[in-house]
Amino acid sequence: MQEKMENQELDQFKPKIVGFLCNWCTYAAADLAGSSKMEIDPALTVIRVMCSSRVDHNLVLTTFFSGADGVLIAGCHPGDCHYGAGNYYARRRYALLKKVMESLGLESERLKLSWISAAEGNRYAEVVNSFSEKIRQLGPNPINKMSGL
Amino acid sequence: MKAKVGVYVCECGPNISEKVDIDKILETLPGLEEYREIELVVKRFGLLCSGDGKTFLEDEINNNGLTHLVLGACSPRDHDKTFIGVCKKTSLNPFLYKIINIREHCAWIISDKDKATEKAITYIRAGINRVLFQSALLEKKLDINPDVLIIGGGIAGMEAALSLAARDRTVYLVEKDDHLGGKAVLLGGLLPRQGGGPAKIREKIESVLGNDMIKVYLESELEGVIGFLGNFEVIVGSPGDEEKKDLKVGAIIVATGSGLADPAILEGLDYSKTDEVITSMDAERMFSKEGKISLKSGGDPKSVALIHCVGREEKGYCSRICCNYMIKIAGYLKDQSADMKVTEFHRGLCLPDKADQGFQKEAEGRGVEFKRVRELTITGTNVRYEGMDGKSEGLKFDMVILAPALEPSEGTEGMADLLGVPLSESGYYQEIHQTTNPVATSIEGVFVVGAAHSPKGITDSMLFAQASAGKILSQLIPGGKITPEIKVSEILEAYCTGCGNCLDVCVYGAIYYDEGRGISVVNEAVCRGCGNCFGSCPSGALRTKHFTNTQLYEEMREAIR
Ligand SMILES: Cc1cc2nc3c(=O)[nH]c(=O)nc-3n(C[C@H](O)[C@H](O)[C@H](O)COP(=O)(O)OP(=O)(O)OC[C@H]3O[C@@H](n4cnc5c(N)ncnc54)[C@H](O)[C@@H]3O)c2cc1C
Ligand code: SF4
Ligand code: SF4
Ligand code: FES
Repeated sequence: MQEKMENQELDQFKPKIVGFLCNWCTYAAADLAGSSKMEIDPALTVIRVMCSSRVDHNLVLTTFFSGADGVLIAGCHPGDCHYGAGNYYARRRYALLKKVMESLGLESERLKLSWISAAEGNRYAEVVNSFSEKIRQLGPNPINKMSGL
Repeated sequence: MKAKVGVYVCECGPNISEKVDIDKILETLPGLEEYREIELVVKRFGLLCSGDGKTFLEDEINNNGLTHLVLGACSPRDHDKTFIGVCKKTSLNPFLYKIINIREHCAWIISDKDKATEKAITYIRAGINRVLFQSALLEKKLDINPDVLIIGGGIAGMEAALSLAARDRTVYLVEKDDHLGGKAVLLGGLLPRQGGGPAKIREKIESVLGNDMIKVYLESELEGVIGFLGNFEVIVGSPGDEEKKDLKVGAIIVATGSGLADPAILEGLDYSKTDEVITSMDAERMFSKEGKISLKSGGDPKSVALIHCVGREEKGYCSRICCNYMIKIAGYLKDQSADMKVTEFHRGLCLPDKADQGFQKEAEGRGVEFKRVRELTITGTNVRYEGMDGKSEGLKFDMVILAPALEPSEGTEGMADLLGVPLSESGYYQEIHQTTNPVATSIEGVFVVGAAHSPKGITDSMLFAQASAGKILSQLIPGGKITPEIKVSEILEAYCTGCGNCLDVCVYGAIYYDEGRGISVVNEAVCRGCGNCFGSCPSGALRTKHFTNTQLYEEMREAIR
């Protein structure tokens, strides 16, 4: 009985993913994927930031605490950041965040960092679709259950 | 007062209207009114970006007294500017408007219409929520200063100065030496294809000195700079002179040239120990002064080895000009004495100009010997080399002339720091993009030309100088206005502990420490608004305007509701 419920819950599980995309590369890639009419998983909602480096620890953790099942941070390839080196800082913060997440009992795979250039509409679609699938497998954010959200 | 938010969904012809159920969106949104305590005006329109659409929006803003505007339409990359323009015609501050991309991010990527509609609603709700927390920001319009500062009075700096002065720009030319002309004026001669020789360089110096629009500061250096494209304030000073000059310019050209690597540091070369081993530059200067190349011990050499590519491996790049000028130096020697034994040891010749191969053949015709080598060591004036056939041989010469690699000129790091321009791995200035904008740097209004950009001969140095002048003439039009970035970061004094974390992460050096107040301060004129500093602040003192925490949190909360 209990098990059946859980399966049902999983079937109905509609993951909520937030994608923080840098304005100069990945946001443009998302636009390109759109104008190329690629099919993309609706689980992800895009939030535009100027640079991946703007996505700080608090923003990511607050997003998880608010109930998101996954967070994607995506920006320009190393060396291509519009602001010179922002994405290197993003990478450092990401590495630390993963550790923090594990210590909070959150699977660190729920956070993903990708470099997607403005020309890589294909890659954008691939990354979003496979990440959405991954989150579906992981199931709902455990914090939601813990806090009864 | 309740906020009154206008939400307009664009049909974009069939692009949006066929893929999402716009009426359903319009029916659902009013549910937000109570929960957010706002008033909504919700409508659809055919093409918001059309002339009619713009008039429609303008009327809607005015007639309804909207406090905020949200458009469900296409990518901000397409039409943000269009709608900012509409807002500017009304009393609505453009920072209280937001375009939501339901075309590229819903209509075009989700084939199931119900799902696409649901997604569009999510996006628009998130957008409404964000816009409610946005703040009006005021754009500043500043007069453009069309004058230009040029650092370095070599051939590149002089050429840029002349091109700009020809269009009546005041140019400040700052040179650290006591003369203009840089390296080119010290040379014994130019390549035959460059016709005219050093006299041509001296003519250029005379034109610069005789030009009223060009103010030359010799034995001077740049000591400080703040500002941005159109409005730089710079300080120029001379070592030992208390008095500084404060100049206002609209653009800065860096033309500080290249230096020569010190061959003394290279293994296998006896440069510092033996008088008869000299550098190419020594040879040029000697030829320029005395009209010939003599041994330090007196008299003419009977045999000379010319060594190419000294330090190329260590530097990791080819200096591009050395093969050519080494053949030129061989020419000086052959002119001096036709039966002098002249041997060029090279590692594959780099002869990039259309006339260069012919030049090399001509030298061969005059008896200059070219030996391509794999390995080479020099002891005194003895050259030991391994040829391409793998055989080693030793040869004794009277004199050895080295072509050391070019390297960024002395003081490049300090200058880059001062200007906030990044350096590339090679140590030269990093251009913004080699194929789209090779003379510009990531600091708008700062250009790099000539051998300061990368190893270059005179012709290429001039080309870069002319390109930078063209860029400046088209970007800085006298009487024009410039709008500096306003989505910048700021530091709230009450929270800042002065830890300095943010100073370290800002690539533009836009943050400085105010000793008096014990806090850090963002120089808004330099900040580009990337938001990187934000993540480094442990005290919550930083705020990136238009991308504040509250704005992003509120958008995010609705996005996952
Ligand atoms: C041995 C040799 C032979 C060459 N022969 C030829 C040839 O035959 N044909 C050819 O086309 N090219 C030749 N070249 C290359 C040529 O010298 C360069 O292409 C040319 O000098 C580049 O001009 P520039 O103005 O960019 O730099 P430079 O000539 O190096 O001038 C830079 C100027 O900036 C000044 N400066 C540097 N730092 C500062 C600072 N911080 N503040 C203020 N001023 C500063 C310097 O004092 C100098 O006056 C030769 C080079 C060498 C080394
Ligand atoms: S927002 Fe970016 S450019 Fe501005 S001060 Fe912060 S790190 Fe520097
Ligand atoms: S990181 Fe924060 S607290 Fe530290 S100096 Fe910068 S603004 Fe002040
Ligand atoms: S601007 Fe794209 S990662 Fe910095």
